[in-house]
Amino acid sequence: MAYKAPIDEKELVKQLKNESTAAKAFETLLQAYTEPVYWQIRRMVLNHDDANDIAQNVFIKAWTNLHNFRGDAKLSTWLFKIAVNESINFINKEKNRQQHFSEKDDDSFLIKNLEADSHFDGDALQLELQTAIAKLPEKQRLVFNMRYYDEMKYEDMSEILGTSVGALKASYHHAVKKITDYLTT
Amino acid sequence: MKQEDSLLEKYGKDSGMKVPEGYFAELQANIMESLPPYVSQPVVPELSRWQRVKPYIYLAAMFCGIWLLMKVFHTVSDPLTLNLDNPPEAIVQLLEQEPDFYEYMAIPDDSDYDMEDEILASYDNFEDFEKDFNSQE
Repeated sequence: MAYKAPIDEKELVKQLKNESTAAKAFETLLQAYTEPVYWQIRRMVLNHDDANDIAQNVFIKAWTNLHNFRGDAKLSTWLFKIAVNESINFINKEKNRQQHFSEKDDDSFLIKNLEADSHFDGDALQLELQTAIAKLPEKQRLVFNMRYYDEMKYEDMSEILGTSVGALKASYHHAVKKITDYLTT
Repeated sequence: MKQEDSLLEKYGKDSGMKVPEGYFAELQANIMESLPPYVSQPVVPELSRWQRVKPYIYLAAMFCGIWLLMKVFHTVSDPLTLNLDNPPEAIVQLLEQEPDFYEYMAIPDDSDYDMEDEILASYDNFEDFEKDFNSQE
């Protein structure tokens, strides 16, 4: 999924900065970006209810920080950045919470959440792939999801994650190798 | 990439994650309902000319103060040091103002020997000089 703005971004930003037109413009923004932002979050946190809460936070944060959006980057890049930060914050908080109950210091709780999710109807193979992806470090997981599922361009990824295109390509290559190794052992 | 192709072939792109029917429309409505009041661009108060210039004035005053302190310290601690602030002319002037030194350097116009030569030239004998000398008293 390539995130091309289906709207005139410049005009939309102008309307978002104006109090009288902001609400209507934000509705247009939601129609364009709710789905891609949600899936970006869902692929990180895996559970629908968690992704739902985080997605709402992302857009409310975007609304309250509209005055900080300078228009240097694309609106989608800005929203994805907020979504990435919120997802990582959530995972870290959950990880800390889980550590009180178990010795494990990894993201295996995500797979438990996925298994318990009523909105996951994947088969054993899909669960196996998600388990392998969950073993990756957070940033590598982001890169893998963005490329494998969303086919996002490395240039767009670079803007969102603040990493060079070369490093992202290498990260994706390593991620695929790690997943393959995990699945074949 | 060969490994990526084999992953795609075996697992595909469907993650098995689903959302309820009409979920995104509902999510958008929920977000719109829970939006807090609009936060306008914070208005930056316009600064007066004095407020804009003030830091530079303070900075300049600070440098002047430091320069003055250094100057005073220098003058008090070593007034005769030969440097740009104390050129040789200044030293000469200072030395000339010192009375002891002036006196020390002053050479009297006439010494005792000169006076004796003058007496011998003016008088034929010492008695005549003594007579004149006593009559002046």
